[in-house]
Amino acid sequence: MTPEDETLIEQVVGAYRGRDVTSDRIQEHPAFADLDAAGRERAYWVTLDNRRLEAALDPNGLSTTGNLVLSRIRAALPR
Amino acid sequence: MGSDLDQYLGDIVRGDSDAFGHWIAAAEPALRRSLVRYRASVDVEIVVQETLLRVWQLAPRVQADGQPNCLLRWASRCAKNLALDELRRSRRFVPSDEVAEIELAEPAIEADVLLRERIADCQRRLPEKPGLALQARIDSAGGAPDETLAGMLSMKLNTFHQNLARARKLLAECLRRAGIEWGFDAETGRTP
Repeated sequence: MTPEDETLIEQVVGAYRGRDVTSDRIQEHPAFADLDAAGRERAYWVTLDNRRLEAALDPNGLSTTGNLVLSRIRAALPR
Repeated sequence: MGSDLDQYLGDIVRGDSDAFGHWIAAAEPALRRSLVRYRASVDVEIVVQETLLRVWQLAPRVQADGQPNCLLRWASRCAKNLALDELRRSRRFVPSDEVAEIELAEPAIEADVLLRERIADCQRRLPEKPGLALQARIDSAGGAPDETLAGMLSMKLNTFHQNLARARKLLAECLRRAGIEWGFDAETGRTP
């Protein structure tokens, strides 16, 4: 892995994803397409580690993915 | 020991987001691992996020079949269909020698308290900048791009990513010293 690959992997490992302006569809991280198959595979395993770590540090046991999804759901709930 | 996450189904159907939070906390690892076949072809993160949103929206339509974890099994089927949609969209493919679909792992509701304490202890021992980068990622909960987080910490984007990688490496070393196998193994390409 080159340092450039490691930087791309770090980006993919984060839970942030953009959304399509018109369809609101969650979009693939641009860095994912810049990685080769080995880099994408590594990003998957590192993400598994990271989500486990995040969940262990969260008072409700949620990863950043879990917190992100819940915050979107709660923002859409009627008040 | 596995648990039946359908204990939350009734509350989820009634719109209880706290109950859905409990379900996500236990279900997400199994759901993400069930997508291992697509790891080199599909951005699994978007599939997991979209699946969880659909579970919340469509849980009232899920029919219990008398077996445990019907909502998780429904979510896994939904995730695989979404992964296949992404494959078609991206025009990538799953290598022919890739493993077949794997069985859905048993979810666990009870958190490993000792592991949580060890991880929190190791996090406290991180040097300042790797610790700040890791905490910024956790605090943002996927709500902000890395450029924003790096800017908040007055770090260059590349430095922010280097600090994240260093934080993970130091945490894994700290946990291994405590007798806990942790982290991606570059030699085998696997996690414990």
